[in-house]
Amino acid sequence: MSAQLWALAVAGAVVLAATGLESFRAWRGRRLAAGVSAAPAGEPYILYFTGDTCTVCKTHQEPALARLGEVRIHKVDAVEERDLADRFHVYTLPTTVVMAADGRAVHVNYGYAPAPKLVRQLADARGAALRSAATA
Amino acid sequence: MSSVQTVVDHSALKVNQTGIVATVLIAFVGSFFSTLFLALIPLLGIALLAGTFVPKLAPFKQLYFKVLKPRGIVKPHPVQDRPEPHNFAQGLGGVFLGIASILLVSVPVAGLAVALLVAVLAFVNLAFGYCVGCQIFFQLERRGLLRA
Repeated sequence: MSAQLWALAVAGAVVLAATGLESFRAWRGRRLAAGVSAAPAGEPYILYFTGDTCTVCKTHQEPALARLGEVRIHKVDAVEERDLADRFHVYTLPTTVVMAADGRAVHVNYGYAPAPKLVRQLADARGAALRSAATA
Repeated sequence: MSSVQTVVDHSALKVNQTGIVATVLIAFVGSFFSTLFLALIPLLGIALLAGTFVPKLAPFKQLYFKVLKPRGIVKPHPVQDRPEPHNFAQGLGGVFLGIASILLVSVPVAGLAVALLVAVLAFVNLAFGYCVGCQIFFQLERRGLLRA
């Protein structure tokens, strides 16, 4: 096999390994952040981790959050509020955390989360609050 | 959050990324016919590094600002943004192409593979807006290792 094809195979293997590693990191982050609590509120809300350096936040995530309507968005600078970012294992921007009304993290999204996904997760967070009230 | 007041023309970034992908692909495909095409890789590395420190030396961005934008071939897309992460990502690309150039002399397979990876990352940024260099910039800034 020629050097070019070997190079293509090596580059492909590195891309596959990096994709696997990224998936593992996101899975691990979600597992560690699930159930972490922050300030409670009357309604489910979204913790939105962003930063000055995040372009996708401005071009994709913020328009998606604007489409959610009346949902409370708590914007957090991941560089300045490092402790809070560390608590939710924020390793990439944007990161969105869907919080239940009792202040418990229900869903964590590392990277861009489209509006329909956030709507589903918010509905789930409302359901989680109802389930928690029913069993209390 | 500190207020962002600078504006970055994202079309210039896209033209830059397109240039990187195209140049590496030309070098890669051309190398099947002649090893002379591989000279494009160190040239691209030098161009990216020079453009990081002196924006006027960035060939693809100059192509955009001097030709494509004035003639209306590519429309501007200004976004309130910081240029530092993008410059950092470009510089990182230049460094990796420099490493690829050194490897091309001793281990051609590794050199070509590194150059292809730079093209893949530029393509991911171009197609999906995900800038790996900017994420590295964020991590370094968060750890206090880098200041804009």
